Amino acid sequence: MRSNKISLYAITGFSKNNFQLLRLLIQQELTLRYKRSVIGIGWTLLNPMLTSFVLWIVFSFFFASKLEVGQQFAPYLMAGILLNTFFNQGLLQAANSIAANGNILTKVAVPPKIFAFAASLAAFINFLIGLIPLALVVYISGQSLSFALPIVLLVGFFLVLFVAGAGLALSVIFIRFDDAKNIINVLLLILLYLTPVFYPLSILSEGMQTIVTLNPLTSFLDAFRWSFSNNASVTPGDFIYLSITGVVFFTLGNFVFKKYWPRTVSML
Amino acid sequence: MSSVIKAENIDFAYRVLNNHQSSLKTLFRDFVNRKVRIENYQALSGLSFSVEKGETFAIIGKNGAGKSTLLKLLANVVPPTKGKLKITGTVAPMIELGAGFNPELTGRENVVFYSALLGRDVKKVKQRVDQIVDWAGVSDHLDYQLRTFSSGMIARLAFATATDEVPDLLLIDEVLSVGDGEFAQKSRKRMQEIISSGTTVVLVSHDLVTVAELADRVLWLENGKLKKIGDPKEVIAAYQSSGS
Repeated sequence: MRSNKISLYAITGFSKNNFQLLRLLIQQELTLRYKRSVIGIGWTLLNPMLTSFVLWIVFSFFFASKLEVGQQFAPYLMAGILLNTFFNQGLLQAANSIAANGNILTKVAVPPKIFAFAASLAAFINFLIGLIPLALVVYISGQSLSFALPIVLLVGFFLVLFVAGAGLALSVIFIRFDDAKNIINVLLLILLYLTPVFYPLSILSEGMQTIVTLNPLTSFLDAFRWSFSNNASVTPGDFIYLSITGVVFFTLGNFVFKKYWPRTVSML
Repeated sequence: MSSVIKAENIDFAYRVLNNHQSSLKTLFRDFVNRKVRIENYQALSGLSFSVEKGETFAIIGKNGAGKSTLLKLLANVVPPTKGKLKITGTVAPMIELGAGFNPELTGRENVVFYSALLGRDVKKVKQRVDQIVDWAGVSDHLDYQLRTFSSGMIARLAFATATDEVPDLLLIDEVLSVGDGEFAQKSRKRMQEIISSGTTVVLVSHDLVTVAELADRVLWLENGKLKKIGDPKEVIAAYQSSGS
C-alpha cells in the first residue's frame, strides 16, 4: 500500500503491536492504582471533588468576590485543580515510569517512550473522567456548559504533548540523579502558585500578573475554563501560546531522550 | 546462508560519573571544585563475529567477562558504544523470565501483557492463553492475581509464555529448564525442540557439558575481548586448560 499520509507509526517509531501494548499499559495505569480500594475507580471522581471542597471552604472567603461578573468561584477552582492534577500527575508519572520499568527495559527490547506516553495519556483520561463531577458543580452554581466544549479535547491534547515531552526529558535526569525528584517537587509547588488555580489574576500586582501570564499553564487553564463553561476570558494568543508550548516541549523532550537514553540505560 | 547477527568491531562502555555518586548536590559541589570526572568502564572491546541462520551459538567465559552485556546488546536493549551491530528478524530474549510480570494482575492478564512486551500480537495471544496456561499446568489459577501464585508456578507460566512463539533469534541466559521433576524435563524437552527446529539460538551458560552438547560454535570471552571462537570441543578444551 502506498502511503502519502503521515502515519502514526512513522512519527512514533512504534509498531502496530506496540500500540496494543500502549493500550494495555493505559488500562493498567487506570485500574491498578485503585485495585485494592473498595470503591475502586470511583476515587477518580471523588478525589478532585474532595480537594476542591476543602480549598473552596478556605479560599472562597477571600477570592470569590474578586472574580469577573458572571464567573463562579466553585467551578473556577475545581477546573484549576483538575488541570493541575493532570499536569502534575502526568509529568511525575511519565518521568518515573521509565525508571520504574527499568527491569523490563534492560531485558526486553520495548521502545522505552511507550511507558511515558502511557502515563501521560492515563492522566488525560483521568482528567476527562473528572469532567463529570465538574459539570455537576457547573450546574449547581447556576452556570451551563459552553458550546465550545469540544475545544477542551484540543487543550487536553496539547497538554498531553507538553507532559509527555517534559516527562521524557525528566525521566533521564531522574535516573541519573537521585535528588532531582526533590528539586522537581519544589519547582512544581512554585509553578502551582504561579498558576491562577485558586485565585483570580486580578488580585495580583501588575508585575506579578506579567509573570503569571508568561506561565504557559495559565493559558492552558484559562482556555480550559473558557471552553468548558465560559468561566474565564481568553484571547487567541492563549491558544497560540499553548499549542506552541505543547509542540515545542514534545519535540525537545523526544530529542533530549533520544540523545541521552543510550548512555542512561546502562545505569538502570 | 544469511547472517542473523553481524557484529563488526563493537565496543561497549558503561559510563560512571564520579564513582557513581549520582546526585545533583555532589555534582554541583564537584563542579565548583572542578572535580567532575566521567569514567568509562569498558565492558566489551573490539568484538567481531557473525551468527548464521539456524545456528546454535554459545558464549562462555568467567563471571564479569562481558557475557550478559553482550546478550543485552543482542537483545537490542542497549546500542553498542562503537562499531556496527546488525540483527535481522524477531528476537525473543529469555533473560530472567517473567521480568514484566505484575503481581497485581491475574494470570491471564499477565500472559497477555508479557506477550505484548515481547512484541507479539495481543489478539493472537488472547486466543492462545488457555493453551499456554494449560501447558504450564496452572489452569486452576488463571483468573487469580499473580501474587497468589507460588514462585514455581510463576516460573512455569513465564517459561510457557516466552516459548509459545518461536522467534527468528532466541537468546538464552542459563534458562534451559524451570521447575522441578516432571516440569523440568518437559521444559527441557520444549527447549530442545525449539533449538532443533531451525531457529537461531545464542546461549550463555556456565554448564560446559550442555554447551558441548548443544552448540555448533562457541565464543570464549575474556575481559570483554574475544579470546577464541570456533568448534565447541576445541574452544572448551582451551578454556578448561586456561585454568578456569
